[in-house]
Amino acid sequence: MSEDSINDKWPELKKFPESVEKNFISSLSAMPDALSESQIRDWYQQGISLASQTVRSWESAAHFFAVSPSVLKSMPYSYFEKWMECGEKLCNESPTLASAYFESSPGTMSQLRSRHIEEWASLGDQLYKGTWKSSTLACRFFVLSPILLSQLSFNQLQTFSQFLDKLAHRSYDLALECLNLGEQIFPLVGEDKDAFLSLATALVETGWREVKSFFDSGAKALPRIDPDERIRFLQLAENLVKNGGTNIPGTMLEISQSLAELDQEKHSVVLALSESLLEFEPLAMPDFINSSPMIFEKLTTSQFGKWYEEGVNVIQNNPDAGIAYFKVESAHSENTIEMLSSGIEFDRIKTVMEMYCRGLAGAEIKLSSTEALVEKNIGWVSKNSPTTEGSTVFVPTIVDRYPTKEENFAWFKVVSTHQVAHLEFGSFIFDFNKKSALFDDLRAILEKKQLDAIENSKKSNEILDESSSTTEFSETSQNLEKAWISDMQRFFNLFEDRQLSLDIFTVVESARLDAKVLVEYPGIKTFYLQVQNDSLDDRPDIKELPAREAIVEFMLRVSLQQYEGVSIPLKYKSEIQQIIQIMKRVTLHESLVEDSAEASIRIYAIIASIPNEDIPEEDWEDPSFDDEEDYEDPDEMEQMLMDMGMGMEMELRPEGEEDYETMQEVEYRGDFKPELSQLMNEMRMQQQDQSGGAQGDPLTQDQLKELLENSAELDMQTVQGEIQESSGVFADNLIKEAGTNLPQSPDDNQGKYVHVDEDGGELQPGEPETFVYDEWDFRAEDYKPRWCIVKQKLMQEGDPAYFSSTLNEYSTLVTRIRRQFEMMVPEMLRKERKLSDGEDIDIDDVIENMVDIKAGSSPDEKFYWRRNKVQRDVAVAFLLDTSASTAEAIDEGKGRQDEWDAPDDPVEYMVWLRTRRGQQMRRSYKRIIDVEKESMVLLINALEAIGDVYGIYGFSGYGRENVEYYTVKDLQENFSDKVKRRIDRIAPLHATRMGPAIRHTAHKLNQIDARTKILFLISDGRPQDRGYSREGVEKEYAVHDTKMALDEAKKIGINSFCLTVDKSGHDYLKTMTSDMGYEILDDINDLPERLLVLYRRLTM
Amino acid sequence: MTTKTLYKSYIIEEYQLDEEPYYVPVGDEIELFEAAYRERLPLIFKGPTGCGKTRFVEYMSYKLGVELRKNSKRTDDSDSVNLPLVTIACHEDLTSSDLVGRYLLEGDQTVWIDGPLTRAVKAGGICYLDEVVEARKDTTVLIHPLTDHRRMLPVEKRGELLEAADGFLLVLSYNPGYQSALKDLKHSTRQRFVSIEFDYPPLEIEAQIVQHEAGVDEKTASQLAKLGEKIRNLKEHGLGEGASTRLLIYAGKLIASGIPPRRACQVSVNWAVTDDHSVQQSITEIIASIFE
Repeated sequence: MSEDSINDKWPELKKFPESVEKNFISSLSAMPDALSESQIRDWYQQGISLASQTVRSWESAAHFFAVSPSVLKSMPYSYFEKWMECGEKLCNESPTLASAYFESSPGTMSQLRSRHIEEWASLGDQLYKGTWKSSTLACRFFVLSPILLSQLSFNQLQTFSQFLDKLAHRSYDLALECLNLGEQIFPLVGEDKDAFLSLATALVETGWREVKSFFDSGAKALPRIDPDERIRFLQLAENLVKNGGTNIPGTMLEISQSLAELDQEKHSVVLALSESLLEFEPLAMPDFINSSPMIFEKLTTSQFGKWYEEGVNVIQNNPDAGIAYFKVESAHSENTIEMLSSGIEFDRIKTVMEMYCRGLAGAEIKLSSTEALVEKNIGWVSKNSPTTEGSTVFVPTIVDRYPTKEENFAWFKVVSTHQVAHLEFGSFIFDFNKKSALFDDLRAILEKKQLDAIENSKKSNEILDESSSTTEFSETSQNLEKAWISDMQRFFNLFEDRQLSLDIFTVVESARLDAKVLVEYPGIKTFYLQVQNDSLDDRPDIKELPAREAIVEFMLRVSLQQYEGVSIPLKYKSEIQQIIQIMKRVTLHESLVEDSAEASIRIYAIIASIPNEDIPEEDWEDPSFDDEEDYEDPDEMEQMLMDMGMGMEMELRPEGEEDYETMQEVEYRGDFKPELSQLMNEMRMQQQDQSGGAQGDPLTQDQLKELLENSAELDMQTVQGEIQESSGVFADNLIKEAGTNLPQSPDDNQGKYVHVDEDGGELQPGEPETFVYDEWDFRAEDYKPRWCIVKQKLMQEGDPAYFSSTLNEYSTLVTRIRRQFEMMVPEMLRKERKLSDGEDIDIDDVIENMVDIKAGSSPDEKFYWRRNKVQRDVAVAFLLDTSASTAEAIDEGKGRQDEWDAPDDPVEYMVWLRTRRGQQMRRSYKRIIDVEKESMVLLINALEAIGDVYGIYGFSGYGRENVEYYTVKDLQENFSDKVKRRIDRIAPLHATRMGPAIRHTAHKLNQIDARTKILFLISDGRPQDRGYSREGVEKEYAVHDTKMALDEAKKIGINSFCLTVDKSGHDYLKTMTSDMGYEILDDINDLPERLLVLYRRLTM
Repeated sequence: MTTKTLYKSYIIEEYQLDEEPYYVPVGDEIELFEAAYRERLPLIFKGPTGCGKTRFVEYMSYKLGVELRKNSKRTDDSDSVNLPLVTIACHEDLTSSDLVGRYLLEGDQTVWIDGPLTRAVKAGGICYLDEVVEARKDTTVLIHPLTDHRRMLPVEKRGELLEAADGFLLVLSYNPGYQSALKDLKHSTRQRFVSIEFDYPPLEIEAQIVQHEAGVDEKTASQLAKLGEKIRNLKEHGLGEGASTRLLIYAGKLIASGIPPRRACQVSVNWAVTDDHSVQQSITEIIASIFE
């Protein structure tokens, strides 16, 4: 068609920019032939009318013409007309919109039923509100339609656009972003788009600001969940939204994270329970899901269900308690888990088992988890193998091998007993020179032969080369040997293949210990044998091992009491018979570790003479041994020893022999490292010697490194890095470890601030002198287990002059008080008269009595007297509030104590505190703390007069993980200059978390033997701390916890008394102290005097 | 018509043991006691509860009594020669009148009654003051003149000075285990005595004792002794005192009369030594390991 004819036929085209015409012409030829002339004409007209609507509408027309052919391909002409109509309508509204509509049409039409065209167009139309922003949104909607429709049904698309519409009411930007995110998220949502959309819609109504992060987190959260369960997850989330949950996206992320930690098959269980939980308390649901991975570690699915049911019971009575329960922040919840679970947790039984081990071994044994040992990185690497290093027995953190608790506990006991047996029956007190009772001693002979061999080779070396370096080297190594070789190392130095000798020794020694345990502790026998038997299941197939390994394995089986069903290589039957005899001699008799060592030498000699080859299948047989025969050293032993002495025993191995590989350990026996353990012990002793001023060649790091590299016990491969390096690390750590037993000088630092989230879980005490206490949650009516860490420190020492200057200042009061207090003592020894029985008769009364008799009246029989035996037996602990608020000047700021405007962030808090304290510094008037200090001085002065046991402590802290507890004078401590110095340094610090401080004080008092025990709390306001009193309306929390702490003290016979200077104290002190005493001082300056008066009254 | 006596009672001066009490010496305590008695040196027995202090005194009083009679038979044929054993359990209300004696009112006059210490002094017996730290300090001072060369007991209220009869010997027992600052012997008191230290017997001897006293078989006896040893290991770790030999014998007796061993140890040993629940659990586990 020529240009002219076009101009003729379609004259209007010229009115518009060129692209309209161009598009038209190219589309025209692409239009289906089936179209009639009039239809083409209509189409053309439509385009022209579009183009002529407004100034810019020619663009729409251009798009219109461009896409028409492809649109027409996917629909009959009747619908095409509709499509055109819609386009025109849209163009009426906005040409841009229409352009977007046309542009996305080809893609959309291929996925859209033709009958939905109108509706689709109207979706975009609805989004368009005539503004620029709405136009962008609506256009984007059209543009993305093809992609969205590939994921969504048309109905869903409608919902989505409604959602966008709603959201757009709040914010167009947000709506636009969600629209864009939708493109990414819908593929992830899978089958559950309805749920997702309805959740999104619901969210718009409750918290539209979260919508975007909902889309974000949805994209992250959903892939973590079993695809089949995603819909339930979304429904749960929706339910949460409807029930007023906040931070839904965050919660979704969290719970999806928790679910991700679970096996996928457990998702349905957890989600089903969560769904039913919604009926009771929807807000507990996220906590429930978040706790579930932790609980599944301890419980099976059915037990989990029971735990859940119990939680539902709780939640029906008290929703707060229920939430705490599902967070596993209540003692009830923990106890339920403990009751249900069949596993044994180390923490739970630590005290009992530690005591048990100490009882058996008769030594100061500690019990610790294997994880702690691995973390020390001193050569032990397995987290699951129980072991001991000579002073501590390490056991797995959790045991859940058997279906019942009893069995698991029994396993635990077997493991501990075996480890303690190492100590009880002296595996580590091996003495190289001690005679063996059961064997002829070969150790010394062997060593001599070796030394001779070295000597000889050295001589020949000297002849060859008289260079000084070799001699120097051997000298140093000899020095090393003399100073630092443990007996165990000396023993293992006898063998060329240390690994083999270690394995043999391990088996023999374990067999000896097992035999000992079974004789000494028949009560544990049944389960011990069962554990032995069970460990056979894990053994490798003996027939697949090469000869040497097979024989070691066979020994091990015998040591586990397996006598039948193990095959042995036929050709070594007589050797094996000998080995068995040797082992039996050790196990059947009263034997020592030296006997094990001698037995190991012999067995080693036998095994070393056997090449480590694979044995063909047919050369195996089940052995039957003659039990009667007793072992005697065979004649060849001499030759074998000779070889060993020369370091030649391994020379005989044939070509192509396999290297000996260590055996697989037996789980209940764990990791036995005699060499390392002895080394540790010796290092510890050396350390102590040094600190005691004794002489001793300290072992240098390099020497230690060398020793370690020689040992077969270190599995260097399991540690990353070069052998050189890792042995260096071990050496470092070992030296550190050996040093930790030294008494440490009290350090003065005030502690680092480790920020622990108030919502977090339980705390573990890390450093020494830290104590963990529960905290009472009054809403849940249950304890939050192990919630607070109390760090006990000695108060720093200051100037002792403070003490005497204070006494001078108050000199009149001092004398008066002292006199009053001294008077308390004689009061104790008053004579009591007129008793019916006593020390002696009172002559006055008797005379009176006689007179009565003579006078004929009935006499009074009570004429005995005795000394009042009331002894003063008082222990009192003064607990000083040293919180920041005690820095308040006395005359000001009393009204301020209730304010707690400290920042929440620890760093900011410290800054805040510093400025606050800085302000105080510049002032010279008295602060509350000063009066407290003065009172303490006077009090000490008075108490020393009557000899009561007393302690003075200050407390403060920041957060539940940092309750600082300063000892000024310990209960047992005598009054000294140090105490005087410490008083000087009492200073205001941080917050007031009273509960744990009270609990710790009560704990201390409880250890004192006294008839009257008093806890005297001196404070300046209500308890407050981060997460303790600040949670909005929940000021009460702190008060209730403090009350509970005081009640606990009362239960163990400690009377408490609170003295405060807070005038508004009446409202909470009444609750806090219940029926116990409290007093509010009107004037802080009365404190010293009042305190003493109260003290006298309380202790009389 | 005579009233039948339903109980046995002894006059203090006449109380002595008829049968030889069972006692296994652990060290040289018998020789020490004999030598001290020859020189009339007063003695202190130090040692934890239930390790055999009282039994030892009984044994020695019997042994010395027999020798005394043997010797006196040669010279003088009287049967009345004996060595009575006067045991006084001390408590914190024990006053000097309780030991020395007091006036009592009888009808319309006062009558003096000798206290047990006075009677022992007069009769020349062994006076055994058990757990002497429990007594009041002013009471313990009372015995001072008896313990040195004077061998006198002042009876203030009657204005008398009693000289101890020839056989008299003062023996104190004292358990340093629960020694607190308040309950300690004054040095002036301590330094008047020869001290013999007692401790629980070694494993084998204890087993032998338990076997004899409780009448159990050898195996059970040695298991009980082992239990004793293990529990004593826990001292200072939550236990104030270890399980005494006496408790082990009780357990043995219960076992001998048919109570299962674990149960018997539980009631007679475990619950006797501690009230602390976790210590109890630990001991239960030890018992369960040792006994089937």
